[in-house]
Amino acid sequence: MKNTMKINRVETDLLILGGGSAGLWAAHRFAELMPGRKVCIVDKGPQDWGGLMAMAGGDFEAVLPPDTVDGWLEDLVYYFDGLCDQPLMEALLSRSAERMRDYERFGCEFFHKPDGSLKSVPQRGLPHVKLYPAQVKGRGGELMAKSLVARLKDAGVTRMGRIMLTDYLVRDGRITGAAGFHCISGEAYIFKAGAVVAASGMGGWKTSYGKNTPTGEGMRMAFEAGAQLQDLEFARVWNMPRLFAWEGQTHLFPLGARFVNRLGENFMNRYSPVLGPNTDPHFTTIGMALEIRAGRGPIIFDVSPLRGEDMILLKPQTGWQKLNYEKLCRLGLDLFKDNTEWVPQMTVSHGGIRAEIDGSTAVRGLFAAGTARSMEPGVYAGGFALMTTAVTGHMAGESAAAWLRDADDAPAPDEAEAEALLTRAFAPLGREGRDTLTPKQVLTRIQATVFPYDVSIVKNGPALERALAEIRRIREEELPRMAAADPHYLLKLHEVEAVAFVSELFVRASLERRESRAGHFREDFPRMDPAGPSWIFVRRKADGTAEFTPERVPLEQWRVPLTRCYQDNFTFVEQATGKDR
Amino acid sequence: MIKSIAPEICTGCGACVRICPLDALRMGEDKKAFIAYPEDCMTCFLCERACPSGAIDVDPLREVLPPTFPDVPVELGGGRA
Ligand SMILES: Cc1cc2nc3c(=O)[nH]c(=O)nc-3n(C[C@H](O)[C@H](O)[C@H](O)COP(=O)(O)OP(=O)(O)OC[C@H]3O[C@@H](n4cnc5c(N)ncnc54)[C@H](O)[C@@H]3O)c2cc1C
Ligand code: SF4
Ligand code: SF4
Repeated sequence: MKNTMKINRVETDLLILGGGSAGLWAAHRFAELMPGRKVCIVDKGPQDWGGLMAMAGGDFEAVLPPDTVDGWLEDLVYYFDGLCDQPLMEALLSRSAERMRDYERFGCEFFHKPDGSLKSVPQRGLPHVKLYPAQVKGRGGELMAKSLVARLKDAGVTRMGRIMLTDYLVRDGRITGAAGFHCISGEAYIFKAGAVVAASGMGGWKTSYGKNTPTGEGMRMAFEAGAQLQDLEFARVWNMPRLFAWEGQTHLFPLGARFVNRLGENFMNRYSPVLGPNTDPHFTTIGMALEIRAGRGPIIFDVSPLRGEDMILLKPQTGWQKLNYEKLCRLGLDLFKDNTEWVPQMTVSHGGIRAEIDGSTAVRGLFAAGTARSMEPGVYAGGFALMTTAVTGHMAGESAAAWLRDADDAPAPDEAEAEALLTRAFAPLGREGRDTLTPKQVLTRIQATVFPYDVSIVKNGPALERALAEIRRIREEELPRMAAADPHYLLKLHEVEAVAFVSELFVRASLERRESRAGHFREDFPRMDPAGPSWIFVRRKADGTAEFTPERVPLEQWRVPLTRCYQDNFTFVEQATGKDR
Repeated sequence: MIKSIAPEICTGCGACVRICPLDALRMGEDKKAFIAYPEDCMTCFLCERACPSGAIDVDPLREVLPPTFPDVPVELGGGRA
């Protein structure tokens, strides 16, 4: 790096990468337990913005009486087709009510019915799993973030925004800190820390509306530092209007809304006579894809079965959703009146860091929290993320406190290594030449490679092989040609490198999983592996490449047997094996 | 995507610049916010909602992304023009 470049050095006991739900909770819990110790949250976005929670509606899952943890666990083992880490899920569910009560204590209210009881909304046709909506629909997440930040201010937690971390610093298998840069000033940063919480969110494909910050650098950094990853084959392909964005459609299905094809057929009834349209978007997008491929598109969102009084209640009341809705109505795109076309849209990766229940990883002193660690295999129930990120953040704060109490003093980061990493991170800044590419150009090519339905939704081997070859070509030929005109673009460039990293692992893991299960559907392997569920773990080999290792889910050691699978509710197998074509 | 910031209405309070998650907005020398990196906007409306003077207009339509069905005509729900 240029000798003139300024390096800022920050020392802290706990460094938290990411100020979203998980990072804020980790800081809150750590500060509560270790009031004298220093905590520093670093975020590439604005200081105190709260990550994706800033846009979240505020739906929260919690196990409240008369529900039991056992009932929910049974639901999730079934819903995840056995790919449920039962001890982890039990730990999360057991703590969910406490975190909900914390939010109530912080002044975040949940919706009460006129009789005073809490309103709940059942999810995905499951007998127990349900969410509790926020009182202020559309702004619940924003208020949760604000309430946590207010507590961190009181506790003296340092919060730094607009700093992108690009590398963890590790010595002899122990974390010593992280390095990065300020995306406006362009100044370099080296953080020395006794422990680090990775709360950096998911990987993803930058598809707008709250999906442009989770890009997966945290995953790449953890992988390079020696942590393992898992569940990379699962991505969230959401149903979205073709022309605009909408949140909260999943509330409309239980009340009668549905998707219809060009012939006016409620096609999900055909693909799942049991669940119909009231299921996870993962399954709906498979249905959409099969309809569109068969020439029965476009797909229209049909709200005509909704009752008038429900419609009034369902129209967005506050926040960005209200603003969005009003603007759309002015453009003649009233979701509740006009026929709007919907399409499947790939959004974020469900893969993440492999961690123990307490958040610890293969790197000593590095703890993972929130969506940076993997918790669900590509199917999702509303309100799950705010709960799991709160609980795992809280737990990671606790684990980091316990670790720092017992561990030896952290060694100082290796200065030469840190500066070498910074030199690498800054290399594309000001890169010139006729054949340079912008991060956005490369991003578009990656998106064009992984978005096609035969790579992302109804996957098949040959299409995945073609996508893999193209992603590798992009990695070898295009990533090194990316140039950043200023520190802002340097940040985007590192994001696109991470998008490429996650995309390659997504395609490779999708090839590795030769079956269909939970949020992964292979048309050439449309059934579940009769040998039972396995995870696919990813680790970095000595030569820097990724190694994929399947590991059987130890169902025989766990409480809930796999007696039925959610996948069995669908007839995609029959459709895929030819009946429909 | 972010459409406009009206300079005659902007008071230069900086709220939008501080809140934009994508660093798409910056403060000009003239103490007016401006759209520095329009292509990085993700249409989250945070800036428009934060602006105390109503100077910002975000267009609700979404960015055109590479298609999910490159070989199916648009009229049939695909992405082929
Ligand atoms: C519009 C919308 C509505 C939603 N509604 C709900 C809901 O009602 N209920 C629910 O349960 N869930 C909801 N969700 C999902 C939920 O909000 C998120 O999954 C959850 O908040 C994620 O929290 P997190 O802390 O794991 O990750 P994030 O919120 O993604 O936080 C990660 C943070 O890390 C920062 N970061 C990442 N990489 C770096 C880096 N390299 N250097 C520095 N900083 C970095 C990011 O800027 C970000 O602030 C919604 C999401 C959206 C977008
Ligand atoms: S809409 Fe969101 S991303 Fe776009 S400029 Fe405003 S705050 Fe930034
Ligand atoms: S928030 Fe509004 S008034 Fe304040 S700087 Fe931005 S545009 Fe100007």
